Amino acid sequence: MATESSEGEEETKLMGGNSQLVVDTDLREMAKNAAWSVSSCKPGNGVSSLRDDNYETYWQSDGAQPHLVNIQFQKKVKLQLVALYVDFNLDESYTPSKVSIRAGDGFHNLKEIKTVEFVKPTGWMYVPLSGNDPRETFVNTFMLQIGILSNHLNGRDTHVRQIKVYGPQPNPIPHQPFQFTSTEFITYSTLR
Amino acid sequence: MFLSVSFIFGSLLLLASIFNMTKTVKQLFLIQNPQKPSLCVSPDSRLVVDSIANLNHPRFHTDSSLSSLISSTSNAFHYADENNLKFLVKSELYRSIVNFLSHIYKLSDKIRVYLSKYPMEGVLIDCVQNSMRHLLYRNAIFMCERLCSEFPSETNLQLLAACYLQSNQAYAAFHILKGTQMPQSRYLFAISCYQMDLLKEAEMALCPSNEPSAEVPNGAAGHYLLGLIYRYTDRLKSAVHQFNQALSIDPLLWAAYEELCKLGAAGEATSVFGDSAFECIQKQYMSQDVGPQLQASSDDHNVVSSRQQVAENVSARQLRHLNGNNMKDSSLNHNGAVFSGSTAGAASQPNNGVYAVIPFYNTPSPMANQLSGVAPPPICRNMLPNGSTSSSVGADVSPRSTVKSTIQAPRRKFVDEGKLRKISGRLFSDSGPRRSTRLAGEGGSMANVSGASVASGNGSNHTSKFSTSKLGSAALRSVTVRKGQSWSTETFNEGVRSELDDSRVNTTSTSGSSPSPDTRSCEHDGSMGRTSMSVSKVANGALELLSLLKIIGEGYRLSCLYRCQEALDVFMQLPLKHYNTGWVLSQVGKAHFELVDYMEAERAFSNARLASPYSLEGMDIYSTVLYHLKEDMRLSYLAQELISTDRLAPQSWCAMGNCYSMQKDHETALKNFQRAVQLNSRFTYAHTLCGHEYVALEDFENGIRSYQNALQIDARHYNAWYGLAMVYLRQEKYEFSEHNFRRALNINPCSSVIMSYLGTSLHALKRNEEALAMMEKAIIADKKNPLPMYQKANILVSMEDFDGALLVLEELKEYAPHESSVYALMGKIYKRRLMYDMAMLHFGLALDLKPSATDVATIKAAIEKLHVPDELEDNM
Repeated sequence: MATESSEGEEETKLMGGNSQLVVDTDLREMAKNAAWSVSSCKPGNGVSSLRDDNYETYWQSDGAQPHLVNIQFQKKVKLQLVALYVDFNLDESYTPSKVSIRAGDGFHNLKEIKTVEFVKPTGWMYVPLSGNDPRETFVNTFMLQIGILSNHLNGRDTHVRQIKVYGPQPNPIPHQPFQFTSTEFITYSTLR
Repeated sequence: MFLSVSFIFGSLLLLASIFNMTKTVKQLFLIQNPQKPSLCVSPDSRLVVDSIANLNHPRFHTDSSLSSLISSTSNAFHYADENNLKFLVKSELYRSIVNFLSHIYKLSDKIRVYLSKYPMEGVLIDCVQNSMRHLLYRNAIFMCERLCSEFPSETNLQLLAACYLQSNQAYAAFHILKGTQMPQSRYLFAISCYQMDLLKEAEMALCPSNEPSAEVPNGAAGHYLLGLIYRYTDRLKSAVHQFNQALSIDPLLWAAYEELCKLGAAGEATSVFGDSAFECIQKQYMSQDVGPQLQASSDDHNVVSSRQQVAENVSARQLRHLNGNNMKDSSLNHNGAVFSGSTAGAASQPNNGVYAVIPFYNTPSPMANQLSGVAPPPICRNMLPNGSTSSSVGADVSPRSTVKSTIQAPRRKFVDEGKLRKISGRLFSDSGPRRSTRLAGEGGSMANVSGASVASGNGSNHTSKFSTSKLGSAALRSVTVRKGQSWSTETFNEGVRSELDDSRVNTTSTSGSSPSPDTRSCEHDGSMGRTSMSVSKVANGALELLSLLKIIGEGYRLSCLYRCQEALDVFMQLPLKHYNTGWVLSQVGKAHFELVDYMEAERAFSNARLASPYSLEGMDIYSTVLYHLKEDMRLSYLAQELISTDRLAPQSWCAMGNCYSMQKDHETALKNFQRAVQLNSRFTYAHTLCGHEYVALEDFENGIRSYQNALQIDARHYNAWYGLAMVYLRQEKYEFSEHNFRRALNINPCSSVIMSYLGTSLHALKRNEEALAMMEKAIIADKKNPLPMYQKANILVSMEDFDGALLVLEELKEYAPHESSVYALMGKIYKRRLMYDMAMLHFGLALDLKPSATDVATIKAAIEKLHVPDELEDNM
């Protein structure tokens, strides 16, 4: 089992949201080559709308809650952050409020690692996956599942406009226990 | 029947040798048999025709006694009796000779029109040439198309192809010249194939498989092109051979030497540009010293024109899409400099200028003789019937010799000049002498024309023509008018030119007024003296140039062999005016870059940009230097500037890609690098950069492919070997990694970075002793590089030599007090030595220095489990 976090139970409330996606420079988007799927969708508002870098389009579920987004990676990856773009102003009752993030080797052994509650979010909402223990800074997993447990105003179906998944930048220098930080080292550390 | 250029030249050459053999060289002939010249001429002119029928001699580079031939032939025209002349005129030989003569003198193209059997052709050629000279390719192409449809000779087709090539439409030239056989056509065809990346076809054109003994057309240029083709088809030995051959024909073909350097097969510059080169140049200039005085000038021309071709090749290839215009400008500037006599950097130019002037001192004399002294009415009479049939031929016979010898740009000139006028940025401006020749020649013709009105002999000539044919006089008049026009159009260095003209007028008028054999011989002697004097000047010029090339060549060679410190020392020997040029400075920057001295490299490159802000040479490296220095502002500024300078240069997009790569936007960076590859698929560095970006995106497969592409173009591009090795290191294929690092190190044996990584891969192979030795080597190779020290500490830790490792790290700490990883490693060591306080201290220090999130996690975990032995954790 990849994750043994138990902090997922305590809920955090997240408000607001950022119109601009801002993440640390030592993070990188990990899910480009992952396989994405959703539990249900309306025709024309499918899973591709989640990844088209377009805030106008959205994925709309079409079925019973919870609505699920599954991200399956080709190999085990280190993940640190999930970012969702939702818009309460536009979507109102379609806006997710309770979101649960689960990780595991596959559908059979998913385990919840984080639950958050959005309060009238508009823009990018960041859900850090790190636990309290420094060894749990990253989630090491094959699969990530984002579950929309409930919507605002008790809406049934949900709208999510974008999802990004971030992990740490790999050390540019292989076989190095630590990454270099000083310019003296970095200039000499690679050729180009 | 249309005679090919080579054909003409070859047969004329033969004629010349006949003249020489039979001692009927013009002067002798005039002196010895002034009373009955036609006796001797007539058999010779028949001989010419015979020889044309019999022989097609392709060697037109070495025609040594051409200029004596000119005078002989002009005399032949003059003194030939009616039958002979008719015979001559009717034969195509006449036209050929006109072409030839005008080529020799490279004078006003316009008068040629009046001599041509087909005036329209002359006008068209003139027009095309003019358009080309003014870089109006559209017009040139249009007119040339008219020309070719009216007069579909192969030389005209060559001209058309040249127009297309110049306007960067190689495909058009390709179609035009498909299947042509003349050497010049084959060469042009090969160039167009090469530009279209049809290397096989280009090779076939240069050395046809059905006749393997055939000579490569255009001498050094042909060999150079063939060498390039071999190089890009991975036949490096043959390529080296061809480049060497090109250099042996023309030691000043720098581009060939550059290629040899890139292939790592260049001989030392001191020998390549040494005595043998000097002799070669001297031979080119002086082989005619023994011949009649005029030869010098004609050969000078030949040398120049062949050079010109060479130069053109350089420009055609290297500067294919960008620099055509720049080149032209620069050549013009050079000309200007020649005349004003104030050039820095072209030491030999003045010499050439002087040298090239010689023909004028010589050539006008026979003409003046003919005009004033003889001015034979019979010819005029003679020509009258012809005049009625073909106006241009009959138009003005008596001034024909004048015209012929002084004026006109013949067909070959287009071929050479039209397409080849762009001279590369060589120091030695070839067009200088040629142009000066022409200018001065124009002066000469002016002198003649004006002399015609003054001298009594000419006056009679003039009037006789005036009375016999209006057309003739009209032609003559318009000749003068046109001369005037050309004067006014070519405004620069006018003053100097008028000076030249003055002197010319003097010379011609004196010799013209006294056509006796005595003066003639006097003048002969005088010009001989002048010739030899200028020959010694040429020798000096050649020596100066060669000594300059020796330094630059040696520097470049060493830098290509990655003996960078030596290269830098050599470049330092250059005179300041050459050192402070874009090319040299960017080479210096490159050398510093290879030495991993990015600060110095940055300085050199920014100076290079100051020296030539338009030059893109080495700017890809500059952007990488800035990338290494993390100068993001300056890097993006540079990229923007380069893009606005030339959007179609791969260097610009490499800089842009580096810019994005530094922002960690590897996908956009990759796109930019791919654009660079698209723009020039032979731009090695762009492939390598693509590879780096793929690796950053963890797409190792494509990364490897990109590196391999780079290596396919240039197996000596060590960065790609390094990239491959890094990929294998990451993929834990340590044997491969070691192998590739060794390849890279073989090419660049001074790089401490490669050494250090080679040590790392050896360490991964558990060959710790070797690894340590390699690290020591790396530390010695570059004392400023902290990496091998750190790696050494790593290796020592794995060998459980903690004290040794700590010692090394303490030293490193002095060098880079802000390096978190040093403290982290020290903390780790202290932890293993169970010195928890020290471990805690160092971990804390490491955390303070803002390590990456991953490292924060690792360090924090280590702190938390301070008292748990390392072995229980997974190895970090």
